[in-house]
Amino acid sequence: MDLPLLKSEIKALIVQELNLQGRDPASIQDDAQLFGSSQDGRAPSLGLDSLDALQLAMSVEERYGVRIPEGPEARSIFASVTSIATYVAAQKPSG
Amino acid sequence: MAGERIWVTGVGLVTALGNDVEATWSRLVAGDRGLAPLDLFDTTAQRAAIVASVPRAHELVPRGGPPRRWSRTTGFAWKAAADAMAHAGVRGQAPRRVGLVVGGTTGGMFETEALLGELHVDPARTDSLVEMISQPLSATVDRLAEVLGPFCRLRTLCSACSSGANAFAVGALWLLSGEVDVVVAGGSDGHCRLTLSGFNALGAIDPEPCRPFDVRRRGLNLGEGAGFAVLERASSVRARGGRPVAELAGWGVGAEAHHITNPEPSGGAAARVIARALRRAGLSPGDLDYVNAHGTGTPLNDSMEAAALRLALGSDLERITVSSSKGQVGHMLGAAGAVEGILSALAVERQVVPPTMGLEEPDDACRLVHVQRHGRPARVRAALSNSFGFGGLDTVLVFTEPELGPPPAAGQRRVVITGAATLSPRGLDDGTSAAALVDGSLAGAPAAVAGRIDFDLAPHIDPVRGRRLDRPARLGVVVAARSLAEAQATGRPLDPAEVGIVLGTAFGSLDPSAAFIHRIFEKGPRFASPAEFPNLVPSSPVGHVSIYLGLRGPTFATPDLATSGESAVIQGIELVASGDGEVVVAGAVEEASELVERILLFLYQGGPSDEMAGPRRPRSEGAAAVVLEAEAHADARGARTLAHVDAVRSWTEGSPPSIAGPRLVEGARVVLAQEGIDAGALLDGTGWASAPRTSVSPVAGEHEAIGATALAAAVALVHRGGASEVLVLGTTRGRGHAITLRAPTARAIPPTR
Repeated sequence: MDLPLLKSEIKALIVQELNLQGRDPASIQDDAQLFGSSQDGRAPSLGLDSLDALQLAMSVEERYGVRIPEGPEARSIFASVTSIATYVAAQKPSG
Repeated sequence: MAGERIWVTGVGLVTALGNDVEATWSRLVAGDRGLAPLDLFDTTAQRAAIVASVPRAHELVPRGGPPRRWSRTTGFAWKAAADAMAHAGVRGQAPRRVGLVVGGTTGGMFETEALLGELHVDPARTDSLVEMISQPLSATVDRLAEVLGPFCRLRTLCSACSSGANAFAVGALWLLSGEVDVVVAGGSDGHCRLTLSGFNALGAIDPEPCRPFDVRRRGLNLGEGAGFAVLERASSVRARGGRPVAELAGWGVGAEAHHITNPEPSGGAAARVIARALRRAGLSPGDLDYVNAHGTGTPLNDSMEAAALRLALGSDLERITVSSSKGQVGHMLGAAGAVEGILSALAVERQVVPPTMGLEEPDDACRLVHVQRHGRPARVRAALSNSFGFGGLDTVLVFTEPELGPPPAAGQRRVVITGAATLSPRGLDDGTSAAALVDGSLAGAPAAVAGRIDFDLAPHIDPVRGRRLDRPARLGVVVAARSLAEAQATGRPLDPAEVGIVLGTAFGSLDPSAAFIHRIFEKGPRFASPAEFPNLVPSSPVGHVSIYLGLRGPTFATPDLATSGESAVIQGIELVASGDGEVVVAGAVEEASELVERILLFLYQGGPSDEMAGPRRPRSEGAAAVVLEAEAHADARGARTLAHVDAVRSWTEGSPPSIAGPRLVEGARVVLAQEGIDAGALLDGTGWASAPRTSVSPVAGEHEAIGATALAAAVALVHRGGASEVLVLGTTRGRGHAITLRAPTARAIPPTR
């Protein structure tokens, strides 16, 4: 799969599904922390919470036909846009 | 002077353990678990479907075709309420004023969700519309009034999982105010696809039987059923030689203002509500022997609740027994608070503590005195019952042996209004400019329009903090914030921790519910929208407003159809008058809804129209709120009072309104919520008969929040000096409410007849 295209689709999905009104999807950095509070010395987190994680997981499953595992594994998949895209691409290697 | 004690004199239960009190209680204590795979509808595509279901439910629901088909929810309520009334011997006594208050979340959703899903895609499906309109949350109260009435006062409440508990608290307020002699109070809820899919989408359900407080707990199991109690003042019970089950010694109602689904993790917010309940009961942790926990079995709730209990009860928690009944009856949502309150009362009556089934290895984070495997005899002087609902709507009830603690404080406090706001085709008005809604001499009032108001809400709502707010919540934030701003324009600012909020909303979120259901049917439950689900319950707008504005006082919704606004304002007045709230924002929100418009239009034009009365304009959108404040509180902070609340009168079919006249006919005005009210019939023979009458509808439009709009406009009318006293009237189908306001200066003269 085309990873850069996947990443930009996922950014758009984040903005749309989580109702981040007025936010330009392109402004979300590939490796920016999505969930939890910002850590010192790192780029600011998007500050999403557990309800957002559930919504995003459902949307990614629906959009790409992949299965997101429940529990701690999901947390590492959703760490950043890059990790989500990597996971999706790995589930759907062709086209 | 001491106030009256509130006694529980009758109880009724319908649960997975049995359809009456004795069956439920004996099986509860024995440790039976009423959990099994759900068989009410197809669950093959659901993540988890172990539930607690009412046995032989079909026996409890009377048969009948539309429009009078009874929902499961109403059937359960009927059995439990009838049992409670029989237990207390209510019917057999001299006629008394009996009130009915019912809490719930789903109403007739099971019966109508399939129809909703179809209507979402096929608007032409009119054959089912009549049935739709007979199943809103308030239908239970209507049906019970028909078969168990007459009742002189009616109310429907929704505060998510604390709805049933709030019904008891409100019932107690009615008794303390002297407005009723007996209260039938409770909650009811039945299984439906929307609820199961929604909680599964949140990952909140344990696919196995749940394990409250256990280290391996994974979630809750949904339950269904009803719990109803009869409450009376102790003096009436003694006068007829009756005996109570237990005393309802206190209650605490408050909001966490944290998150729409997750509890405030430190437990501090819940601990404050527990402390409030104990304070009202005049008890300290040393008097407490048992806690019936909310104890859902979710990882987040149980550790938060243990922390809250530690904060509130301190070292006494090492002695006090704690158990959760949800491992046996499931999480009964709107019924939970009422059922568990009754179980707590029975623990006091019978000196037995029920167990926490499903608990094998207690989590270190939940180190409490647990009861496992089965119940046991214990000395129970006083018991707490906790209910923590979505949106952080918490209620704690205190049941005791009769006369354990001091009697409640007596006296009703005077209530004033310090702020107001309306949202209408005029835009946003406050407690001065809203007079234009009723004063034709104020130029520039556009005519009412159907559908959405042309008013940009965006500048009023922070896009980041407000991203989860749907339209009703946004309308609520705007009017609540504006009215609170006005209340703080003079005097010292308010502390949001002591401000509560009650919002009326007639139909809840019908369009989003239809979309949610349609998605489940079309794509399967796995693709139900987790973020959307919490917004579907009628208490969602008020929960969101509480979170957005940080309000932590008593918080709930009053889904009373056409008089939702009136009910909310009256509910707010009751809370402040009784001392349960220092400041309560009360109002209503109603969004434009194609679905509702279609249903109502169809009903009026073609189908049986006995549910609605009078001609209808196109339905529009609207919102309004007033800030109700204890007079002493407003004076103490030096705030300007816009109007005084003078009197409240509510009536039902068959009991006349008997509205007291104005002090001076000169300067008296009548404001009608709905245009079509037959005010002449209601006011003939009173001093209001000749007072000028106006309705807010020509300007504000027609919608179910109009009662709040009328009240806010009346406040402005008084404040501007356009009237010294105003009577606000709102009616629907033979029931109605009259609220009298007067100007701060018109004090000394007593009202005329």
